[in-house]
Amino acid sequence: MAGGLSDDRSLLDRIRRGDAGGAEELFERYAPSLLKFADRMLGNRESAEEVTQEVFVKVISRAHQYDGRAAVASWLFAIAANACRDKRRRDRRAAVVPLEAVGELPARGEGAEARMAGRERRAAVRRALEGLSEEQREALVLARYHGLPYSEIARVLGISVGAVKTRIFRAVETLKARFSEGEASWNAVN
Amino acid sequence: MECRELTELALGRLLGDLDAGRRDDLERHLAACRTCRDELALLEETWETLGADLDAPVTPEFRARTIELLEDEMLRRRVREFRPRSRVLRVLAQAAAILVAAAAGFFAARGGVEPASKPVAGAPASAGQPAPSLPDLAEKPRLSNVSYKTAHDGLVGIDFEATTKHSITGRPDDPRVSSLLAYLLSANETSGEKSRAIELVSENYGPGAAVASPEIVFALATTLKRDRNPGVRKKAAEALASFRSTGEIRSALLDALANDPNPGVRLVAVDALAAAAREAPDPKTIQSLREKAFDPDENGFVRARAASALKAIDL
Repeated sequence: MAGGLSDDRSLLDRIRRGDAGGAEELFERYAPSLLKFADRMLGNRESAEEVTQEVFVKVISRAHQYDGRAAVASWLFAIAANACRDKRRRDRRAAVVPLEAVGELPARGEGAEARMAGRERRAAVRRALEGLSEEQREALVLARYHGLPYSEIARVLGISVGAVKTRIFRAVETLKARFSEGEASWNAVN
Repeated sequence: MECRELTELALGRLLGDLDAGRRDDLERHLAACRTCRDELALLEETWETLGADLDAPVTPEFRARTIELLEDEMLRRRVREFRPRSRVLRVLAQAAAILVAAAAGFFAARGGVEPASKPVAGAPASAGQPAPSLPDLAEKPRLSNVSYKTAHDGLVGIDFEATTKHSITGRPDDPRVSSLLAYLLSANETSGEKSRAIELVSENYGPGAAVASPEIVFALATTLKRDRNPGVRKKAAEALASFRSTGEIRSALLDALANDPNPGVRLVAVDALAAAAREAPDPKTIQSLREKAFDPDENGFVRARAASALKAIDL
């Protein structure tokens, strides 16, 4: 999580008072996290930027609704998660990458081959993520890429800690199976 | 622990979300179970492999675009929240103004305070001589060979020919001078002549100078609305902008902002309206500026100026 609790709240206060500088500071603080979250949720850079902007615009209009029960960061991620779901509903293009499309991880090589393999490997990971269900991906992304503990993920997604664990568990099992399908290549990339 | 709990506990350990007791259970189990050791290695590799997916960076373009959007949104909210002063406050303010004016009149009458400017009934070119009469402007005479001069003593001189040669000299607030200038603003045929008339008006009326008569304001407003030359319209807008704002001036500038095809004229209108709104915000002006600020079809400079103007207005 990017900023201190009181700092974040004072930024929201500034936004409530109509201080554009508060919104700008909040953007500087949280845009990188929210953008990468949206990017992984939507699998599309353009859509991710759109949703990230949408989150900050919503923050401006809803700053007065923040009740202080959760950290500002959790509140922002909750808005982002909802915005991503809405976006996916609106735009199915970015939503579904069939599991069949998920490729196997390519073998590691040398030089240019290695660089290409690196790119392919990243693309394969991205496809594997996109092959997860939306619920699993939300929980996994928040845990793996944002380092949120179970309890915080539960607050962001509005579910129980047990449900968070289950989702992450299933996501990892799916990925493990996916990556293990080509055992030889899996071993090779590592 | 049992083998089926491996993934859950291993994930807890990876996330730093496993208490010491369960961590010890896991370690003990792994030491004794080769299958779970292999499974754990696979799980950790999966976790590590996910790190191959790079984070999307915030590019300068995205940052700039979003900051601009957020500023616009903040501004939009400020405008949305703007409420004109309540009717009661407005009535009270008007009553206070009347009282102040009455008090000033009372003290001026008692103390013999000199008025700010002495009424000048058409100061003649040379003292003691009757003021040269104007031709009947209602007849719409064609005035030619018009020339202007501003004397050091604040007098304005206008020479012209109608059926005969005329030479009118007087203070700017001399009704004859005002009427003649208003007529010349309306009746001049060439852009050059109109521009010179407007320049004379700008030099002699406005802040620190005479108050422009309603007929001059009307003539300038008409020029701003109808003249085909954008340079002339811009000068007319600038002249109106230099006057103390009135309902008629505001209306003319709002019309120019909404309808003038030339962005230079609209820019002058934005500045003038914004300056007036800073003194006394009025809903119609705020609304017009807001529309311009967010009109995607508007010229970029005009949009930006309207947005900046709104920011400077205390809503």
